[in-house]
Amino acid sequence: MQSVLARVQEVFHETFGTEPQLISLETTPSDMPAWDSVGHLDLASRLEQVFGISFDVDDLMGMENVREIVRIIDAKL
Amino acid sequence: MAATPGNNFSGRLLNRLGEHSSLIDAATGEAILRSDLHRIIVGFGASLLSNGLNPRDRVLIGCTLSPSSSVAYLGAMYAGLVPIPMEEGVLIASISNLIKGTGARAVWTEKSLRFSATPETGVVILDGLPADRRTNELSPAPCEENDLAVLFATSGSTGTPRFVMVSHGNLIANTEAIIRSQGLSNDERAMLILPLSYCFGASVLHSHLYQGGGVVFDRRFMFPDKVLHAIDKYACTTFAGVPTVYNILLRRSNIRSIAMPTLRRFLQAGGQLAPQRIAEMRVAVPNPKFYVMYGQTEATARISCLEPEHLDEKLGSAGRPLDNLMVRIVDEDGKDLPAEEVGEIMLRGPSIALGYLNESEESVRVFNRGWLRTGDLGHLDAEGFIWIDGRKGTFLKMRGVRVSFEEVEAKVAAVPGVYECAAAAVPHPEVGEALALYIVPENGAGDIIDPVRRSLSINWTCESIQIVSEIPKTASGKVSRASLPAMASRTQ
Repeated sequence: MQSVLARVQEVFHETFGTEPQLISLETTPSDMPAWDSVGHLDLASRLEQVFGISFDVDDLMGMENVREIVRIIDAKL
Repeated sequence: MAATPGNNFSGRLLNRLGEHSSLIDAATGEAILRSDLHRIIVGFGASLLSNGLNPRDRVLIGCTLSPSSSVAYLGAMYAGLVPIPMEEGVLIASISNLIKGTGARAVWTEKSLRFSATPETGVVILDGLPADRRTNELSPAPCEENDLAVLFATSGSTGTPRFVMVSHGNLIANTEAIIRSQGLSNDERAMLILPLSYCFGASVLHSHLYQGGGVVFDRRFMFPDKVLHAIDKYACTTFAGVPTVYNILLRRSNIRSIAMPTLRRFLQAGGQLAPQRIAEMRVAVPNPKFYVMYGQTEATARISCLEPEHLDEKLGSAGRPLDNLMVRIVDEDGKDLPAEEVGEIMLRGPSIALGYLNESEESVRVFNRGWLRTGDLGHLDAEGFIWIDGRKGTFLKMRGVRVSFEEVEAKVAAVPGVYECAAAAVPHPEVGEALALYIVPENGAGDIIDPVRRSLSINWTCESIQIVSEIPKTASGKVSRASLPAMASRTQ
């Protein structure tokens, strides 16, 4: 079973075209121009599909870097 | 004693700064307060001249949502240079093309950056604001009304942008008309999440400073609650957004529970926000007034405004033209049409821009002897309100960026198995407009939908791909975009 991070990296690749190995736990929106407000929603809805979970508004506000995204997903699995 | 600003827009704006004038970065809390603002802007202008630049030289400004890019922009204009505000990311990615395309003699960014290509020799590279904070006596550069003040790009991400030449007189006329239409007083503070490189964002900065108010910048809109809390924290009175912004606020923020008691008005422009969403905004945050506006870079920024007192009665309209603009609705031969009939919206007035940079033929066609052909289709009702019915133009607007149908069609047509393709725009709640593609496959082609999807730029949103047997054409053989939706419903 792939780690949550590896699957998150794949979703970043699908959403923003970024190579998975360039995505680390420390990656933040300021590292990636395409990760803007609309990109954030694209990313969130793909993560919801891939992991079979759903985010509420507060989750979206908390997803400030990849580490937080992984933490929020882990808490829902 | 302050120098007479004459027609220098930035000079006039600086003369009108008041006790509420400040520029604040909400993300860091850094602020340039009223006591420093004038001095820092003038000091920046003076530093350009001392770096060997001259009035009328063009300078590319890498914009982030920050006080310092606004200082650089206004300081350059004050010294008589022509700022070209570009989003920092776009500037870095296409520095060489931008310098070539605009003839810029200098490039400014907030921080020292490494560019993807070394700019040509002779181009002055600058960053940050000058450390010397002494009062500078530089007077605003003398300007005529028709002198070029700023070059605004009309397209963002792909290809070479087109630049609209906006004069000092254009900025003065449009800014003053905007102030009147929104009833701005001298104690306003705007929350700005739109870039300065976008004419709507620039117009909010202009109008608030010009009226003696201030601006708070916030680059954190991907976490909308942070911006809403900052509106409260900094006691903002104006919030400006495009349709995408309001859709995100309604669906993906806690706008209904975050108190913003100081907010007086929402401004909405940049495409049509569904009337239902406007109604939802009114329920979610009832106290601020809601202004719907229509605009174009070619008209400096704003064209019309639906005053809040007419919002219910005229919901869905773009309002009436600003008080210094004349509007006509014309048919394809340029003949005036009566009320209620749909034609192209044409405008005349002191805020219609000078033309496109280095495109004299297109300038003559679009800026037609003083009458701007907007490319937008619309009608006037009996009371003179403008209703937008569509676009004559050849592009759609995704994420605030104009993307030409031809560019999309060329990309898709290059996919093996595609015989012919047509692209149309459909409204989309988050990106504004999304693509609807109609494809005629080659005989015997396998599954082409997936390869077509993969061929699209990552910044494009594709709502649907339909396989059709033919693409409707006009008599002259061009894709008949108006017939595409009807054709799609027949094939479904």
